[in-house]
Amino acid sequence: MSENKILFNTGSLDELSEEIGKITPPEESRLKLTPANADSGLAKLVLTLVELIRKLVEKQAMRRVDGGSLTEAEIERLGETLMKLEMKMEELKKHFNLTDRDLNINLGPLGELM
Amino acid sequence: MEFLIYALLSVKNNSGKLKPLLAGIKGIFGESLFAVHFDTVAAIVGEIKKVDLTTDRTRAIEYAGVIESLTHQFTLLPMRYGSMMESTEAIVNMFERNHNEILQNLEKVEDKFEFGLKVFCDSEKIKAEVRAKSEASVKQSSNPELEIKHSVYLDYVNQKLKEHRLEELLMSYVDSVIAEIKLTLAQLNTFDKYRKMGTEKNIIDAVFLLEKDKKDEVLTMIEGLKDKYPGLNFILTGPWPPYSFVDITLI
Amino acid sequence: MHDNVIDRSKDLTILELLDRVLNKGVILTGDIVISVADVDLIYLGVKLMLSSVETMEQLKSGQAIIKK
Repeated sequence: MSENKILFNTGSLDELSEEIGKITPPEESRLKLTPANADSGLAKLVLTLVELIRKLVEKQAMRRVDGGSLTEAEIERLGETLMKLEMKMEELKKHFNLTDRDLNINLGPLGELM
Repeated sequence: MEFLIYALLSVKNNSGKLKPLLAGIKGIFGESLFAVHFDTVAAIVGEIKKVDLTTDRTRAIEYAGVIESLTHQFTLLPMRYGSMMESTEAIVNMFERNHNEILQNLEKVEDKFEFGLKVFCDSEKIKAEVRAKSEASVKQSSNPELEIKHSVYLDYVNQKLKEHRLEELLMSYVDSVIAEIKLTLAQLNTFDKYRKMGTEKNIIDAVFLLEKDKKDEVLTMIEGLKDKYPGLNFILTGPWPPYSFVDITLI
Repeated sequence: MHDNVIDRSKDLTILELLDRVLNKGVILTGDIVISVADVDLIYLGVKLMLSSVETMEQLKSGQAIIKK
């Protein structure tokens, strides 16, 4: 396949090929469980889903706060809970030795929500 | 041996051309290709050993190459790399179960090709602009910050709120660019799809379905767009087989 | 300089191509493949609908329309 499909571009091609490389991780939609990584492999799957939900919950909470319909007491309790959730997540990540990058398994269309 | 499916074709118009075309193309393991027919559609398959199939970059590129060889002569739905079935009977059954949806999709993509537009942002620059607007909006907003009591939790919420507002402003900037793209391409009457903020820098990932001869028009339109947005990088690619417009899962 | 541009164009073409042929096109089954010891075992079809509480309430009372 030698045909060049690039019709038009502005900007440096180096930068662009680096960026497109990030968007196109063919290996990352596979979760490889091996004897060596069994517990951290499963942890990756679980924590990815949990982190996705935590981020969505946080985003929705901020929309509510911004909307002005909550009392100060409600906002404070929301803050306390969200903060504790975030801290718990950090603990879990440390425990399984996973970084944010590790938790970005491509979940198909859901992946964009992160 | 299993059957690797490369594409689903419509043969209603030029079925006579299919055999000679297939005779001249080899599959990814050098296997011959043949067609499994059902009504006016055909699956283009090659017989391979399942165990040989791995996610190998070179093979995937060759697989796409087969599809490319077919796409200029026939309306087709490209299969995702790795699509396999156990037998030709299974393929015929699959056609039976999904006939309508396959026909609808073939109709949608008839004589059309996909073009991709990716927009990249020099994110620091745009973020700085958006951040400046965000500070301004915080001052104006009726809930600026929750000042009355300073607790660690309210501070946390304030921090998150700032980040959230910044993201919202960035998102509405991206929406405005998309609206501009839509406006610019409106006369082409295309199907279009947009994905926002795929990465920090890739703010828009768009695909369009157009007649192939509209290529030059699109090029001119995108060139015009780039002048409106000096801080953004545009990259237009194509023509591709309609990979992004065949969003079906065969049951 | 010229060669570099041509190489980069080829790289980009290939990346775009791989993205399409590996992540798009017609699929026979679902979304995530979970493999154990290099053997593909499970396709995890992740189809969820996530919405805000307000939207859900509106949907129940017939007010909101689901955007596709």
